[in-house]
Amino acid sequence: MEGEGDLQLPSLFSFSVLLPERACGEREGMGPYPFGSGTATTGWAAADSAPQCSASEIDGLLAGAGYRVRSSDLLHVAHSLERLESAIGGAPDDHLAFAEAVHYNPSDLTAWVDSILSELSPSLPPPRPPPAAPVVETWPDPTCSPLPYRQHQTAVVASTRQREEEGSAIRLVHLLVSCADAVQRGDSGLAWNIIEEMRVVLTRVNTGVGIGKVAGYFVDALCWRIYSPCSSSSSSSVSVAGSAAEQEILYHHFYEVSPYLKFAHFMANQAILEAFDGYNRVHVIDFNLMHGLQWPALIQALALRAGGPPFLRLTGIGPPSPDGRDALREVGLRLAELARSVRVRFAFRGVAASRIDDVRPWMLQVVPGEAVAVNSVLQLHRLLGDPGDDAAAPIDSVLGWIVGLRPRIVTVVEQEADHNRPAFLDRFTEALFYYSTMFDSLETGRGAARHHHHQQQQAVAEVYLQREICNIVCCEGAARVERHEPLARWRARLGRASLRAVHLGSNAFKQASMLLTLFSGEGYCVEEVDGCLTLGWHNRPLISASAWRADDDVAPPPDIQLFNTSMASTTNNSITISGNDI
Amino acid sequence: MAGSNEVNANECKMVVPLNTWVLISNFKLAYNMLRRPDGTFDRHLAEFLDRKVPANVFPVNGVISFDLLIDRVTNLLARIYRPSPPTPSDSQRPSLHADLQSPPSPDPFPVIIFFHGGSFAHSSSNSAIYDSLCRRFVSLCGAVVISVNYRRSPEHRYPSAYDDGWTALKWASSEPWLHSGKDAKLRVFLSGDSSGGNIAHHVAVRAAESGIEVSGNILLNPMFGGNQRTESEKRLDGKYFVTVQDRYWYWKAFLPEGADRDHPACNPFGPNGMKLEELPFTKSLVIVAGLDLTQDWQLAYAEGLKKAGHDVKLVHREQATVGFYFLPNTDHFYEVMEEIKNFVSSNC
Repeated sequence: MEGEGDLQLPSLFSFSVLLPERACGEREGMGPYPFGSGTATTGWAAADSAPQCSASEIDGLLAGAGYRVRSSDLLHVAHSLERLESAIGGAPDDHLAFAEAVHYNPSDLTAWVDSILSELSPSLPPPRPPPAAPVVETWPDPTCSPLPYRQHQTAVVASTRQREEEGSAIRLVHLLVSCADAVQRGDSGLAWNIIEEMRVVLTRVNTGVGIGKVAGYFVDALCWRIYSPCSSSSSSSVSVAGSAAEQEILYHHFYEVSPYLKFAHFMANQAILEAFDGYNRVHVIDFNLMHGLQWPALIQALALRAGGPPFLRLTGIGPPSPDGRDALREVGLRLAELARSVRVRFAFRGVAASRIDDVRPWMLQVVPGEAVAVNSVLQLHRLLGDPGDDAAAPIDSVLGWIVGLRPRIVTVVEQEADHNRPAFLDRFTEALFYYSTMFDSLETGRGAARHHHHQQQQAVAEVYLQREICNIVCCEGAARVERHEPLARWRARLGRASLRAVHLGSNAFKQASMLLTLFSGEGYCVEEVDGCLTLGWHNRPLISASAWRADDDVAPPPDIQLFNTSMASTTNNSITISGNDI
Repeated sequence: MAGSNEVNANECKMVVPLNTWVLISNFKLAYNMLRRPDGTFDRHLAEFLDRKVPANVFPVNGVISFDLLIDRVTNLLARIYRPSPPTPSDSQRPSLHADLQSPPSPDPFPVIIFFHGGSFAHSSSNSAIYDSLCRRFVSLCGAVVISVNYRRSPEHRYPSAYDDGWTALKWASSEPWLHSGKDAKLRVFLSGDSSGGNIAHHVAVRAAESGIEVSGNILLNPMFGGNQRTESEKRLDGKYFVTVQDRYWYWKAFLPEGADRDHPACNPFGPNGMKLEELPFTKSLVIVAGLDLTQDWQLAYAEGLKKAGHDVKLVHREQATVGFYFLPNTDHFYEVMEEIKNFVSSNC
């Protein structure tokens, strides 16, 4: 790494969100084990499950190793493994075919092994005892959570050789947390004193990088909170957030200098492509069009589809443009031009809405027979309310109408963090550590070139993140829209809305990994978590991408929604832009 | 080959519990998919399949963990495990940087630098199986455990892993909070399983050469080999999850191009090995599984240390297979953990 030497300030860490449950069946130095060392000639001595867990429960020890296998399935998995062993030859090449296959959700060992077996001999379905209980893809029930550690996050501390700077950095962290604590208790006098002290400490650290930079933003945010907190969704949130046009520019810069959004778009497009397979009329509903950065790649992939491209409709949702410009339409025109150039029949429609919950399904004009993809990149969290106050939040009704559209796929990208915790101090500390990791990656990832232009781009990208920080720290109530929640909680929520995870497989994972290696620095890590993928920095996941589809036996919601009038703030641009017909 | 495979499965089944058999057979199957005959490795699929766990600063059974970037230049990460720090007055407040890097006790405590196994190619410090093991070491020994995420082969051959181990040891020596006792000493143990055991040995040699005192080495089924084919390799080939061929692949992927298995990294007491007699090499606890086909090399290693005048305690679990330490469901597991505990406490 060039030119890194002197800047070794530590970044910080964040914490776990929830305490894990002890995996059932775990024994600590107690007597007899669940399975004895067998002496029987027929096989394992005790094929029964551990006394503590019933047969339909998960084997606790394997859970600790990251595998979710029901005790009652162990024998079946073992037999499948044996069959594989004897069926695949002994030569080194023989296993390679399976490397080329697409793998899904390795934690579900039973399914994984079965899928390899069926690759091997599709004509011979593996003999399977009927499952004791229906397979559940999501975990609605936290009491026997089989993979407890998944709920926790920690970011990275960069060790430093410079004791003094490290001392100042530690001091800054302590002061920040103390200040947030004072703010939470309403002691603004003390908070102000701490802020003054922090300003002094900041003069002793390099505020250009690492903890110095992030701490600076958090100090500013605390100041703002004390002196002009925003709790309504009126103009104060606009002043913090800036105009929609500004926001698009910031987003675009963040997209350019780091891999997070590129990863998100890539994964979502993969899932959408697969879901659209076999359909000639497809409709993508983008919850936040911005500059439409996600769609050129999808359009091109559809153009190259075997059997020819489908007719693609794109409905882009975005905030209304105040100045007479029609930003949505402009993006639509550009995408139409691209579609035309690759001979994909294309129609665009813009729906201007300040908030997703102002959108009504009828505005999306979903047509029977078309495959619908709903794409939400960093939008769903804006529909959440305070935890425990769920009834008031729009998320459930929005999820309801999403499901009502009968989408083939719903792609969800969210920040992997818990920034919606009820207590301010918890939220503050969680954000402190999340954003330090995020900033650390921006500085250190290979994208962080030394060129002036790139540095400018990076500076703008940081403002994008700074806005998020401000919203989390300064705002309350309806004004606080950056209500990030971790993947585990999204799973539960989407599960309650009758959405089931569509597992993202090893092919997508591999491509994402390879792209990361090519274009970004070392330190980024892609992980597979129960069918979803996360991208993180130094082992701390920062963003998650997942794909969902509606449960087939959910009745569609009543049609009365179609005729409700919309909220006043929504306007409806019905602009349809078509590409040339071939 | 089919016939002998049936025999393998039956013999194997006799000696391990069902869930252990499933776990290790699963690894075997997955790993077979990752090694290509041309010596390359399907790293992306490996990372996809590996089950990882995040670090956790909230205590689980009294142990917390956090990731640390030890060296920015090589992106060397380590996961630190320690007894949870005493809760501050407001027990709701999570631990902060300073609390985490504070001594776990006023009394002398061991620091265990752990190198995970995986035959130099597989696994990471955040692999679930190794996360569990490291947590257990903390509870067992009251230790701070540093699990080093060393660079793996074939992308990074010898001596990258050793260099990373050395970096970790030097880092630990420079951290005041890891020093304990009236003499403010770093009571460090180098440990590892499989390739990790091999790395521990070589880092210990370097430590001895450089005057850094190591309190002890704990090697679990350490990975050694040589050009010869030993009796145990012939007898146990393919019988208990491991084949001689896969061992050869991993060595080929790790050792320098053109080197053979009598390279001193692989065969420290072989024809090209270095003499350890003069060195203040540390004490060793060497645990050998009797059903590990490379056990002859491990036993020879222990012999080599003894002949060089160094203290070795050999624990030979005759009926144990590779990976017996992953799941706490056999006597092997518990008795070996007890040995480790005693070794650490008597040498701390």
